[in-house]
Amino acid sequence: MVHMNIARKIKTLLQEAELYHSQGLLDEAMVKYNNATEIIQSNEKIKSRQNLIDNISKKILALKGDIIKIEKAPKKPEVSAKVQDLIKKMFSFSPDKDDDAKALDGAIALAKFGQFKRAILEFNELLKKDSLRVVAAKSMLRCHMALSSVNEAVAQYEQWLSDDIFSTNQLDKLRVFFESILTKEGIEKTLPRRKTPADNIESEMEMVGVDGVQVKVPEIEDYETLDINSIGITMDSGPQEGQVVEFKVRFQLGNVVSLLLPGRDKDLIENFKAGDVFNDIQYYSTVALFNASGIVTSVKEIKVGPRRGDYCVDIEVELN
Amino acid sequence: MAIFKLKKREIECKIVYYGPGRCGKTTNMEYIFKAYKKQVIGEMISVDTEGDRTLFFDFLPMGLGTIKDFDIKVQVYTVPGQVQYRSTRKLVLKGVDGVIFVSDSLAVRREKNMLSLKDLQHNLKEYGISIFKIPLVMQHNKRDLAGQDVPVMSVEQMERDLNRQLKVPSFPASAITGEGVGATLKECLKLTLLSFKKQIKSG
Ligand SMILES: Nc1nc2c(ncn2[C@@H]2O[C@H](COP(=O)(O)OP(=O)(O)OP(=O)(O)O)[C@@H](O)[C@H]2O)c(=O)[nH]1
Ligand SMILES: [Mg+2]
Repeated sequence: MVHMNIARKIKTLLQEAELYHSQGLLDEAMVKYNNATEIIQSNEKIKSRQNLIDNISKKILALKGDIIKIEKAPKKPEVSAKVQDLIKKMFSFSPDKDDDAKALDGAIALAKFGQFKRAILEFNELLKKDSLRVVAAKSMLRCHMALSSVNEAVAQYEQWLSDDIFSTNQLDKLRVFFESILTKEGIEKTLPRRKTPADNIESEMEMVGVDGVQVKVPEIEDYETLDINSIGITMDSGPQEGQVVEFKVRFQLGNVVSLLLPGRDKDLIENFKAGDVFNDIQYYSTVALFNASGIVTSVKEIKVGPRRGDYCVDIEVELN
Repeated sequence: MAIFKLKKREIECKIVYYGPGRCGKTTNMEYIFKAYKKQVIGEMISVDTEGDRTLFFDFLPMGLGTIKDFDIKVQVYTVPGQVQYRSTRKLVLKGVDGVIFVSDSLAVRREKNMLSLKDLQHNLKEYGISIFKIPLVMQHNKRDLAGQDVPVMSVEQMERDLNRQLKVPSFPASAITGEGVGATLKECLKLTLLSFKKQIKSG
């Protein structure tokens, strides 16, 4: 009699697992398969026990395959031009804004959806507009950095030095901004400045006035004003369990901070899985220290460049 | 953020399907796309990833005819439900006028339903919107699974879990068969348009 019940129990667990798997509820399916396996393993009397276990193992393997596929899928892939157009159009709000401001909104939306290449093209167009020039340029540099194309960002900046679309004062702003991003990337680089011929100074002075209007820079994300330099995370497992480990922030885009973990520190990397939430993270910014939660949005191994083999972990700050 | 285009005599509004991953938001929209051909005024655009999960959003443009000479245009979206797409979810929610919260009747998803509702409340709040004030409708989806060999919550329990304080209209549904799908959307549209009327009167 006990036997019958166990058989039925196993059958239900397996049915549940199948359904959850088919609905894409993969963790739930895994729990049920594991439950079933445990029951079978602890009941030696079950008929063709090894067979059953083998069968379930196969299913678990297939399930693991699906889980890995999902984890590996790109988080912000380039989408079709049609979808990009839709994003540009539908995610630029504020109907009362002028067309330029809307165009900026659209480009920022593209960047937020990770469509950096297209966003760069859009921002590039906006360089033509006096009032948006510096904002658009900063955003372009950011997008290049988000694409990990430091060289292109630098080349772009150098190109601007020799163009005459920016005033020297604007270029100075861009340089300071760009250097601070590079520093966060761990790249110490002194960027060249434009050589100002003395007779240019007068026109420069005029530009300063224009520039004053642009002090309030529209931001890619609402949290951007909080420049986070480093964060402290309380580890809940591994050799450093219970300790607060401090990480330098390598790069920040909006409210997402990227950390760089050395590839050899496998135990540490194990602590970060996409979707993990850390409830108590200390964020050290230039202006304040605050506690908030954060969710791991991606964990990626760096495949090229000097940091090959290291891991890039993105954490999204959640202010409550 | 409804957009009133006085010159074109057009009202544009935005409805968003929200809910935990895999609860059936995209399936809802697919059914609407097929069953309401007359109201659908463009193609359904889906940006998804591995395993049919929504990555950015699904989008469906609809037209509801005219009210007092105004053309009513509706943009319907679904958010990605997976936890890790939090920032995208918030982005898609921006400018929302009415929300359909889809919950999953599978007992194993009980906690996920509640977490997603909290997440909705949190994200709305960040846009300065109270979950108690926005036109909101609830849908308890996957009712077709009740009576099959999997643990499914009762509607009463789901109401207690999710709708005790909100007390918004709610519908049992099966997005796969289409049962309750149209009724849910219609109710949300009704509430949304009603709230416009109020806004126009008071403003
Ligand atoms: N039995 C049953 N299955 C459903 C129902 N609605 C959706 N499903 C299934 O549930 C799974 C997920 O459905 P989706 O519509 O993709 O879910 P979603 O909410 O868009 O998921 P995300 O995009 O990941 O947030 C699919 O396998 C659907 O076939 C339903 O009413 N009944
Ligand atoms: Mg979906």
